[in-house]
Amino acid sequence: MTTSKDRRRSAAIEIESLSKVFRRRSGDEISAVNRLDLAVEAGQVFGFLGSNGAGKTTTLKMACGLVIPTTGTVRLNGYDVRTQRGRAMQQIGAVLEGTRNVYWRMNAWQNLLYFGRIKGVSSSKWLKARAEKLLRELDLWERRKDPVGEYSRGMQQKVAIAAALIADPPIVLLDEPTLGLDVQASRTVQEWVTRLAKERGKTVVLTTHQLDMAESLCDRVAIMSRGRLLTHRPTGELLDLFRREFYQLRLRGIIAAEKIEAFPGFAACQENGHTVLSGEVGPEDSVFDLVERARLAGLDLISVSPAEPNLEEVFIELVGRAEQPPADAKEPQAGQARAVSETTR
Amino acid sequence: MVLAGTVLLNECYKRVIVVWSYRFNFLLETFMIGFLFIGISFFVSGGSPAPEQMAPALLGYLTWFYAVFAISDMSQGIREETQTGTLEQMYMSPLPSGMLLAGRSLASLLISSTIVVLVGGILMLLLGIRIPIRLQGLPVFALTITGLYGFAFLLGGATLIFKQVSALSNLLSNMLLFLNGSFLTVERMPGWLENAARSLPTTQGIDVLRSVVLEGLPLAAVWQDGSLVWLTVQSALFLLVGWTVFLWSERMARTRGLLGQY
Repeated sequence: MTTSKDRRRSAAIEIESLSKVFRRRSGDEISAVNRLDLAVEAGQVFGFLGSNGAGKTTTLKMACGLVIPTTGTVRLNGYDVRTQRGRAMQQIGAVLEGTRNVYWRMNAWQNLLYFGRIKGVSSSKWLKARAEKLLRELDLWERRKDPVGEYSRGMQQKVAIAAALIADPPIVLLDEPTLGLDVQASRTVQEWVTRLAKERGKTVVLTTHQLDMAESLCDRVAIMSRGRLLTHRPTGELLDLFRREFYQLRLRGIIAAEKIEAFPGFAACQENGHTVLSGEVGPEDSVFDLVERARLAGLDLISVSPAEPNLEEVFIELVGRAEQPPADAKEPQAGQARAVSETTR
Repeated sequence: MVLAGTVLLNECYKRVIVVWSYRFNFLLETFMIGFLFIGISFFVSGGSPAPEQMAPALLGYLTWFYAVFAISDMSQGIREETQTGTLEQMYMSPLPSGMLLAGRSLASLLISSTIVVLVGGILMLLLGIRIPIRLQGLPVFALTITGLYGFAFLLGGATLIFKQVSALSNLLSNMLLFLNGSFLTVERMPGWLENAARSLPTTQGIDVLRSVVLEGLPLAAVWQDGSLVWLTVQSALFLLVGWTVFLWSERMARTRGLLGQY
């Protein structure tokens, strides 16, 4: 059994009762983060998801010491960001969204040496060896002497990631790491994130709007909405909560609407000259009943396949409910059937 | 000490690389600085500047250049780094931000000194101006620069919070040129303007520098007449207030989440 003490010992990031209220000049208050409690275990890839304005970036910036919380604490490997700032900052490297993060007038090599020293690395020999290793691993070595401003967007992002990793921090925070990247560059960054956690044992926290990426990369996800944490679970467990008896029937040809009425609650669409029916099989029905109904209606069934829930559906459902007052934003209990809007399928 | 040295060298390393990457602009600006001095000198002297009259003007002008560089570095420089996100990266350093700020200031001083030596040397050769090298001028220069950077920290702090202070920093830079006594000594200004001018950074420093470097007065003499005392007090005040305001602004920026916002 894992005690709370054990959990704390293995937590790379501990966030307790963290809140941030911004005050506008007009005197209005905006609650960006509201009493957030979170623990991220060491060696995990942790996805921080939420719509724009959900409070993800503010939370990351509080973890980086760039924004002072209104209340609460953030501890990085046990070091309080506010009271043990120097030690806490040695634990992290971060690439923040929407900015360059590095100097574009300098080349990749110069940037890494500069940021290494900024991060407190005093051994020049170690720093140079580390910079070379990172640049080689990220396929930037050949162009290390070119100004970063002349690189492609993907290469620039790789330099920013290398600069965040230059002091070999155990925790890496990546805010929208693949934003604006092409498919190839995005894939390289994703592979790199996986390697950081699986091979190097680093804790990677990433925010992204690319939910398919989060689903494939993250061991655990947290979903935020309007500054509040909606859920925080291992990715697989979260998907299991939303898993239901949902099937797709592929039928040969274009089926007339009256025949589809034999499948109440199922949505129909056409694909490559065939008809695809998608819907939930309730507890009183079974897949065999569906097949039987198709046979009785004289329909030519090509295939029946279960449809797995994905993170995007879970996200839309959770956030949708949270943002529709006074709906309860709590996640479903395991085994409970959930009606998911067909438009999300 | 080793850490402080590393921080200083690191900032110098960055500044040299960035300045070198803009070398064409840098050369043009250096030329413009020299040309501006010649132009103003001719204008002020009615077209026939005498080298002995130009020495005090050049001393004041070069000190003014330090002011321009320091102000630009702390306002425009910080604003640009806010936009590019490198300021946030700097604030994620485990090193104290005060140490990084000091390193940054010393790097700025080093670069501006290089330009001053270059431009000053060329102007002295071209116009036959002679400024004697007197070691007693060094502490006066150090005090002047200390106050100047205190003033620049004030603007740097304002930039962290208000962002758009470039017009104000330009105004202050230009105001300093005409009020710091480089071309028109403050004694010749109306009483109220003289008082206002003397409260600005570099004015008192230029006055004392001229006394020590050009007139050859010993430090004891300028201390006794009160001018060095006033410079010391003024510089200490500027540094104290500037440093305090900068650290306060930094805290405000972190409270309001402004370090990465423009």
